[in-house]
Amino acid sequence: MSPELESDTVADPNYDDEFDAIVVGAGLAGSAAALTMANRGLEVLMIERGSSPGAKNVFGGVLYTPTIRELTDFENAPVERYVAERRFSMLTENDETAFSLRPGEWHEEPHNDSYTVLRGEFDEWFAEQAVEEGATLLTSTTVTGLLREDGRIAGVETDRPDGTIRAPYVVLAEGGNSLVSEGANLKATETRENVAVGVKEVLEFPERDGVIEDRFRLTDDAGVSYHYFGEGAVGDAFGGGFIYTNDDTVSVGVAYRIEDAATHDQSPEETLNAFKSHPAVAPLVRNARTVEYSAKTIPEGGADSIPDLVHDGAAIVGDAAGLVLNNGVHLEGTNMAVESGYHAGNAIARAAENGRVGAEALQVYPEALEESFVVQNLEHYKWMMDAVEEDRDLLFEDLPRAFADAGTEYFRIDRTPKESHAKNAKRAVLDAVGGWTGAAKLALRYRKVVT
Amino acid sequence: MSWTIAVGVKQVPDADEVGIDPDTGRLDRASAPAVMNGPDREALEAAFRIRDQAGGEVIAMSMGPPNATSVLEEAVAMGCDDAVLVSDRAFGGSDTWPTSLTLARTAEALDADVVVCGEETTDSSTGQVPPGIAAHNDWAQLTYAEAVDARPDENRLVARRDVEGGHEVVAADLPVVVAAAYGEFEPRPAPLHRKIYGENDFEPTVWDAEDLEIKDEVGLEVSPTSVGGMETVDPVERKSEVVDDVDDLAESIEEVVA
Ligand SMILES: Cc1cc2nc3c(=O)[nH]c(=O)nc-3n(C[C@H](O)[C@H](O)[C@H](O)COP(=O)(O)OP(=O)(O)OC[C@H]3O[C@@H](n4cnc5c(N)ncnc54)[C@H](O)[C@@H]3O)c2cc1C
Ligand SMILES: Cc1cc2nc3c(=O)[nH]c(=O)nc-3n(C[C@H](O)[C@H](O)[C@H](O)COP(=O)(O)OP(=O)(O)OC[C@H]3O[C@@H](n4cnc5c(N)ncnc54)[C@H](O)[C@@H]3O)c2cc1C
Repeated sequence: MSPELESDTVADPNYDDEFDAIVVGAGLAGSAAALTMANRGLEVLMIERGSSPGAKNVFGGVLYTPTIRELTDFENAPVERYVAERRFSMLTENDETAFSLRPGEWHEEPHNDSYTVLRGEFDEWFAEQAVEEGATLLTSTTVTGLLREDGRIAGVETDRPDGTIRAPYVVLAEGGNSLVSEGANLKATETRENVAVGVKEVLEFPERDGVIEDRFRLTDDAGVSYHYFGEGAVGDAFGGGFIYTNDDTVSVGVAYRIEDAATHDQSPEETLNAFKSHPAVAPLVRNARTVEYSAKTIPEGGADSIPDLVHDGAAIVGDAAGLVLNNGVHLEGTNMAVESGYHAGNAIARAAENGRVGAEALQVYPEALEESFVVQNLEHYKWMMDAVEEDRDLLFEDLPRAFADAGTEYFRIDRTPKESHAKNAKRAVLDAVGGWTGAAKLALRYRKVVT
Repeated sequence: MSWTIAVGVKQVPDADEVGIDPDTGRLDRASAPAVMNGPDREALEAAFRIRDQAGGEVIAMSMGPPNATSVLEEAVAMGCDDAVLVSDRAFGGSDTWPTSLTLARTAEALDADVVVCGEETTDSSTGQVPPGIAAHNDWAQLTYAEAVDARPDENRLVARRDVEGGHEVVAADLPVVVAAAYGEFEPRPAPLHRKIYGENDFEPTVWDAEDLEIKDEVGLEVSPTSVGGMETVDPVERKSEVVDDVDDLAESIEEVVA
């Protein structure tokens, strides 16, 4: 007697309208949206072009976790180190003037909700949380367009054969390079001034253990986040450099305006190499081996660049919606991605409960975002990008040099009295900023950075 | 007339992740995630091409532990019509002989006209299983097949075989076992809805040794292979040198080449 095949195999599977929502991109924003919707009982399909979530993600860094912590059990998340020190450095070609913070509080849970992560691991874990709540994850699949029916968005098209699938709601969480949203005219293509390029390397230190702890003065799970600006960081481009410590690697990178990257004759890779060779940076990355190199765009248009967040049958979240704060002091996108995904997920769950698909039914998402720190922060710092652009030479070249000169003068050891050193130091700074009046104007202009 | 095409797919440790235990020198397979044997993707593609020509069904079969289900789900995602897992504790310790026997019986139970296998596996790479299946069932075999051409009217399958110094074209009467030459059958992308189905909703049929009536013919006891011993080879110390510019490099190369 020969055994038989069970006969319940589906010959022609079709998942049109089997899912309540499709999420395009399983990054932070996408997984946050999927997790939120799955938690509320929706059937969710996440479509990710990478072979796993995070496989294609370039990210140098610090994950800000206040919202993630609310959405899932964060205990087992694959984080590298908590941020115990933040350091801001001004670099001229040869000098460094730095300011460092190591508050005791950051050593204690929840570590100011700031952790270094490797996105390859973290994104996979986060997507897994959504899957555990019932969401379906489909990898190695690229969404190529949106399906429209009677003017409203009714599903997505993918690069696979038989590749169209219908669903009442689509969440666009495709990150900064938002080809789907742009292709469907849901947002305008960003102008060049509003896009930064980020290049990053992950370095390891094969020669011995403990290199990171020694060089960055760390114990246990403590880590650092170093930010650099000035011409020593990214030449005459508008932007900065960073170093973050992971568990046994460091992430080092630069992020600056695409416009500068295109018009100046240095490639992003060369800019990164120059940064890594700066006398203040080179000793930190000495004898390292590069294990990963990657490049990506960062939207930095701020509040003015946020597109319409909801459409009939769709919502845009995270970097795709331009939700990144990048102003030299802060580089935050992860927290905004998760926060926006959460609010969009909630709005869709509510609309679905009422059986409505129109943009007006999703309006609670932009409303909630307006109220949240996301839009508040972007609004608050709106002026800053313009101001910094205007004062670019001063901030990135003249001031770093003036501070370096002032420091050199102030601490000079020779046979003249200290009073004359102090006077020289003061002059170096005042010359750069245009005297006391200039200094006062600057202080006024930038007071909102800290207030 | 339509054909039933059975495809052997094996679950192997991900070769990219297999490490070598520094203390014992042994391959550390346990910690590597299990994936579909790469050449078996190409076997699936060869099977789909045969189905395109002759019509019929492609059914994936795997002999392995219960978690080998995942490679069968993947096979269905890629386009198989169905899949069967052959799993039994009794299979433990089987070498290529009982493995081939098990797959031969499975192919028979499926009423297969064609069996397609990969050239070899990435973990044991004997290449013995496809000819083994053919031998157990007394079927024809076409190994190292670079191209397949189904002739349903003639009830024959034609293959171009890679042989030393060239190739030959061979026609075989059904039933036949094909081993697809590695690198010759670029797998097609999985259709969207099939991929969702295969990965999430499909469950393979499971047969055990009793179903196939081979309980006493499998396992360690009846496996003729015995491993005489294992040796690890110490890596040869390679000379390495860092040079500062291209000319120095050219010089070093010249030295070595000369
Ligand atoms: C160099 C660099 C450094 C940064 N440093 C920091 C930092 O220190 N702290 C911080 O908070 N933020 C930082 N950011 C910003 C942060 O990375 C982003 O804000 C955040 O990743 C946005 O998340 P997201 O989910 O919106 O998009 P992403 O993380 O970009 O995820 C988008 C996902 O969608 C997938 N995808 C895209 N298109 C498609 C498609 N068509 N079909 C299917 N899938 C698709 C992608 O593969 C990806 O997985 C940095 C960014 C860069 C580039
Ligand atoms: C010396 C030696 C000792 C071994 N000892 C043991 C042991 O003690 N215990 C043990 O469990 N294993 C053992 N094995 C492994 C086992 O014998 C083989 O994995 C198995 O017989 C298949 O052989 P292969 O991987 O070389 O397949 P190949 O002949 O290289 O495979 C060719 C093709 O056959 C098909 N195929 C092969 N195996 C399967 C399968 N299981 N299911 C479906 N299709 C398949 C695939 O299409 C594959 O591409 C041993 C192997 C060797 C070489």
